[in-house]
Amino acid sequence: MHNRVALARDSMGRGMRTFFQAGLLIGLWWVCEAASRTCHLGVPGGVLGLFVLAALLLSGRFPVRWVSGGAGLLLDNFLLFFVPAAMTLLNHPEFLGWTGLKVVAVVVVGIFLVMVGTAMAVEWHLVLRSRHVR
Amino acid sequence: MSGSAAVMSGGAAAVFWIGATYFLFVVSRAMHRRMGAWWSSPLLMTCGSCLALALCLHASYGDYMRGGQWLLMLLGPATVAFALPIHEHRALIRKHWQTLLVGLACGSLLAFGGTWLVSGWLGLSDGLRLAILPRSFTTPFAMAFASDVGGSPDLAAVCVILTGVFGASIGGVLLRILPLRSSFARGMMFGMGAHGAGVARAREVGAEEEAVAGLVMVLAGVGCALIGLAVSLLK
Repeated sequence: MHNRVALARDSMGRGMRTFFQAGLLIGLWWVCEAASRTCHLGVPGGVLGLFVLAALLLSGRFPVRWVSGGAGLLLDNFLLFFVPAAMTLLNHPEFLGWTGLKVVAVVVVGIFLVMVGTAMAVEWHLVLRSRHVR
Repeated sequence: MSGSAAVMSGGAAAVFWIGATYFLFVVSRAMHRRMGAWWSSPLLMTCGSCLALALCLHASYGDYMRGGQWLLMLLGPATVAFALPIHEHRALIRKHWQTLLVGLACGSLLAFGGTWLVSGWLGLSDGLRLAILPRSFTTPFAMAFASDVGGSPDLAAVCVILTGVFGASIGGVLLRILPLRSSFARGMMFGMGAHGAGVARAREVGAEEEAVAGLVMVLAGVGCALIGLAVSLLK
């Protein structure tokens, strides 16, 4: 009984910590967004924040475990945050017709080109390098 | 505004749309785990069902965004969070930085060239062609690029999203067809071909793939914005 209570308290503590860490990342993003806007950097706050956090982690003064839980929570639900962006389609009924079909065709053909091209170029370059090393 | 969505107050609409989107997302993800088909990708299914729900309720984009804006806002902090996988796999990235540059150059060239040529063959208007051009890069950079070269940033965002929705699915199919032995190639394929949505899909494939895809997404975006800036200065 005592054990179960301790376990429940432990998992609640972990949940709280995860949310707190996610809050920390949101705070970092917010500061970077504000900095990027006031200094007209032309880089979105998220990307600036990524560089800042990577620099902090590399410096070794900021341990990974301070944010790892929160980062996991955000990354696990990354796709969810894209859904509102897709809802802009509600504002563009022209995409539901013939033009939309053409745009989708361009997008799909383009994706095949980029993905196959990039993957094969990278794979080929890696094979070439490993042969060179040997 | 008409229909049942209009009856709700602002706060209730926000809670409703956040809840509905999250619910549909969780259901889509569970279904995808069970079926594993390309068309059952969680992003495709969640977007499709959310659009259908909004159309059924006669909700406008503004209605949806009362709640949707909070989810969209989290895209920024989630981008910051990619510092962790990149940091964790820094040795791999440092080892293969030349390959990274080769992939970035090839991918960007194919992204711009392929999109420009195919959209020309299909006879899209020049305005639309400029808006669709940066579709392979993550939203903020693509919008900046579009406004630099004279396309509509709003339409650019729509094309970027379409790329993400289809790219994550197509990447999953290509994974089975292409003989890719390195996690590096798989990661670059997702990061270059389908930006953020591809990175999220790469997370399902493996930790190294995710780190590489995340880094490529960011670097390709920065490169895209720089090209746009150069074009606007030359004009």
